Amino acid sequence: MVTCTGCALLCEDIDAVVENNRIKETRNACRRGAAKFRGCKNRLTPSVNKKQTDVDASIKKAAELLKTAKSPMLFGWSNSTCEAQAKGIQAAKKLNAIIDDTSSFCQGILIEKVLRKKFRTCSLEDIRNQADVLVYWGSDAQDSEPRHLSRFSYFPRGEARQRGYEEDRTAIAIDVRESNTAKICKGHFYRIPLKGDRELILALTDALSGKVPAYDTKRILELANILKKAEFGVIFAGIGLTYSIKDELDILVALTDRLSNFHILPMVGHYNMRGFNENLFKETGFVNRVRFDGKAVHDNKYAIVEALRQKAIDALLVVGSDPLSSLPRSVLPHLAAIPVICIDPCVTLTSKIATVTIPAAVSGVESGGSAVRMDGRVIELSKVVENNYLSDAEILARMMEGA
Amino acid sequence: MPTVMELYQLLPKTNCKKCGESTCMAFAVALLSRKKNISECTPILEGSFKKQKEKLESLLLPTAGAEETGMIVHPELCTGCGNCVVACPVDVANDPKGAAIGCAPTNDKVIFRVVDGKVIASNIKECRRFGKNRVLCYACIDPCPTGAIEFV
Amino acid sequence: MGIDVGKFLKAPEYDIRITTYRDIFQIEALEQDRFGEEYKKLSAAVMMGKSDMDKMGFKAGDRARLTNNNGSIVVEVRATRREEPGGIVFMMNSPWSNSLVSDDTRGNGIPEFKNISCRISLTKEDITPLEKLIAF
Repeated sequence: MVTCTGCALLCEDIDAVVENNRIKETRNACRRGAAKFRGCKNRLTPSVNKKQTDVDASIKKAAELLKTAKSPMLFGWSNSTCEAQAKGIQAAKKLNAIIDDTSSFCQGILIEKVLRKKFRTCSLEDIRNQADVLVYWGSDAQDSEPRHLSRFSYFPRGEARQRGYEEDRTAIAIDVRESNTAKICKGHFYRIPLKGDRELILALTDALSGKVPAYDTKRILELANILKKAEFGVIFAGIGLTYSIKDELDILVALTDRLSNFHILPMVGHYNMRGFNENLFKETGFVNRVRFDGKAVHDNKYAIVEALRQKAIDALLVVGSDPLSSLPRSVLPHLAAIPVICIDPCVTLTSKIATVTIPAAVSGVESGGSAVRMDGRVIELSKVVENNYLSDAEILARMMEGA
Repeated sequence: MPTVMELYQLLPKTNCKKCGESTCMAFAVALLSRKKNISECTPILEGSFKKQKEKLESLLLPTAGAEETGMIVHPELCTGCGNCVVACPVDVANDPKGAAIGCAPTNDKVIFRVVDGKVIASNIKECRRFGKNRVLCYACIDPCPTGAIEFV
Repeated sequence: MGIDVGKFLKAPEYDIRITTYRDIFQIEALEQDRFGEEYKKLSAAVMMGKSDMDKMGFKAGDRARLTNNNGSIVVEVRATRREEPGGIVFMMNSPWSNSLVSDDTRGNGIPEFKNISCRISLTKEDITPLEKLIAF
């Protein structure tokens, strides 16, 4: 049995059939996981200034670029092992660099609240064994964390939930779109307008305080009633919810304060985004957007989007991420104008414009290590096939030798 | 899935009884439930019905892969989420320490397994829609949001 | 000397809001080949509810230009898989949708990836190729 790094569920029950050191078939992995094991069509090759070279030369050039930069940023990390993340944090310290990860424009603000214990949270096993009311809020688990409902939250029998999902559990979807997850929730799908999360949270908070909610009174009271009666409730907070209330997450804290049996679990797509948040938090007290300068300084201007917009960085190391694909195009001209070093198993949009490219092993397939599941549990990764690719952690270690 | 009427419209509508059914309508019903095969309608095999025969074959194609219970899995729609694996009452009964609690199946008695990111069905005779005490069970269809499983 | 009248007749423009989402088939295509046809087919598309399509006179398979201050792209029009009440349209999160996202985060560092205002109009132009989105 091996671990899947397709998403942050880190399913540990995958059967990978290996023949001649190649994965021939995967069993139990979902479509997303199977794709991860199958790998990409175009592997990255080492290059400097768009000319092919060897790995050693590309690592050497990368070290040189980072050392001579005045304000380098080390970015990516959500698709890297904890070991690589630790190396990255050490490198940022040594280089007096900015370090940020994809959680900066994803679930970082919510995970920070969890790590600061502003919310009650729980493990996926607790959910399987205890949970009776599940709220998928701005989260389409079916497409992003495809085995979430079958492995943990809705369909399995658990210790206190022995009779099957129809009788023992209630699944609720709150979304602007009838997603695959919403389809499963059927009678408990609450469609909200775009940016309507705030009004719904406030209306629910009213209903739970005995006030009459301002709109859609009947349905809101019905929903509030289900939440109130929960023995063990969970809100699976997706980025739909996080983006919508990013400036006032405290209204969600206030809602859960009224629901003493409820827990919040931020839904995470990339397999080790929570790992980066936890590792940096342990080291600095912040989950992302940190500049090292003798000490760790946290500021929103160290968010990758802001740093690029303000043209505040002069070199960028990208590890296991594709900012050219995932960032607003409006901030990309500056990215294209500075030296970019790309460490990735595959050719990406970013690697196409990078000054230096360094091919890496696919973590969880070609190299092992550990990662943090979306609920905070540390999971060991597997090395399924042998080859010569260096892991992210090995590349970073070699890059920082003598730096 | 085609309807009985769609199939009937394409038949000779002569009620010739050569197929063993008393009417063409009865033959259409038998076609849909896979009790009869198009080739049992001898008049339609003649040249003048060529177009109708081809149309009938294309309409019945989706049912061609149906298992004995009438189950069809559409791999191109399946996300491999495993909801059916865990929700199927036969899987729950046959694998209480695996599929029933959301884990990978621990034995080969289960009906649903996910291979290469898509579900495949086996042990089809265990399905509650099969055999003497069959029931109209929807346990694998209801949890599938993409319609990757259907019974015909 | 003839005058090409059609040249001066602009297709009507409508103001719309786009929200983005993720789709497992698109994620699979991304893992396999982010420069491939499958990824482009799934990403360079705008999904519209039937009522919106009827209102604007769009059909599935048409091409539409989406434009705002941040960028302009051409994508294919498709019907949403399920009935949607209308008012907003949908795109899978990708470099295509991201080319319409503003860099103004009001200082909080999180762009409005899921709330994009733009104008939409029918066009005969080709779908914007990925190469164009990564040329600066």
